[in-house]
Amino acid sequence: MIVVTGASRGLGNAICKRLISSGKEVLGIARNISDLDFESEKCDVSDYESLKEIAKKLKSNNQKVEGLINAAGIAAMNLAITTPKNTTEKILKTNLMGTIYSTQAFFPLMIREKKGSIINFSTIAVNLSLKGESIYVASKAGVEGFSRTFAREAADFNIRVNCIAPGPIQTDLISGVSEKQINKIISQQMQKKMFKQDDVCDLVEVLLDEKSKSLTGEVLNIGGA
Amino acid sequence: MNSSDVCQEIIKFVKIKLEEEGIDDIEVNSDSSLIGDGGIIDSMGIVELCLFLEDKAQDNDFEFDWTSDSAMSNSRSMFKSIQSLADTFVEQFNT
Repeated sequence: MIVVTGASRGLGNAICKRLISSGKEVLGIARNISDLDFESEKCDVSDYESLKEIAKKLKSNNQKVEGLINAAGIAAMNLAITTPKNTTEKILKTNLMGTIYSTQAFFPLMIREKKGSIINFSTIAVNLSLKGESIYVASKAGVEGFSRTFAREAADFNIRVNCIAPGPIQTDLISGVSEKQINKIISQQMQKKMFKQDDVCDLVEVLLDEKSKSLTGEVLNIGGA
Repeated sequence: MNSSDVCQEIIKFVKIKLEEEGIDDIEVNSDSSLIGDGGIIDSMGIVELCLFLEDKAQDNDFEFDWTSDSAMSNSRSMFKSIQSLADTFVEQFNT
């Protein structure tokens, strides 16, 4: 089974659909699961206890977990000093703490299989230091640091940990960003084009596959940065 | 459930782990340390031991919480010795 957080919208939802169409068993985790037509659990990733409950349920059902995709994420394009405290906390709790919490919850299930792949999500904005995204970048830089370091702990158990760092991808996450801003970001990528959700899904499939068994502790910038 | 029985089970588990790694010259007893310089198993062994105890807890209808701010402290960790780990396990069972 592959556990995917952020399963109701955006990249997380696209990844769930792609994996299901490829014949994988998927458990989607999201705050709102009413529209999901695949196996799912309602949970906010910033709620550690709820994640542990889901993991406990999987364990008691002898469910094998071979993949974890931490796709839950939120963004708020704003200057650091004009970002409300609550928004700052929400971004850090969802993006950074959510990634750590879900890893803590589901990693013990993966250890038992002595193989697996964890895929976390960062952003190209970390490398590009994009103005107006400092809180978001702080949370994602944390995810990158966590991924690289946790990859060492996980390697003992033949579990790989990598990060995908997309540039602008057409999802709700960038719905509030102007076309001019998006083009400016794309112009800073090595490959100056806007990639699609499908391109991210392709990379996710590669990272889940044994063919990428030599890859761990990496941050893969889509489009190059 | 008593601490002495749990202690023996942990010793047995650790011995098996060491044997699997071809190590047979380390004495394992209730005072053996599980962490730090004198630790008889590595971090991978610690995690596997936690999973072993998690299964045992599940068999006994309770949840074993191995997380602790002092987990890696030589003086205060539940992993400072096999006995302290067994004591913590039984304490959580009784709570």
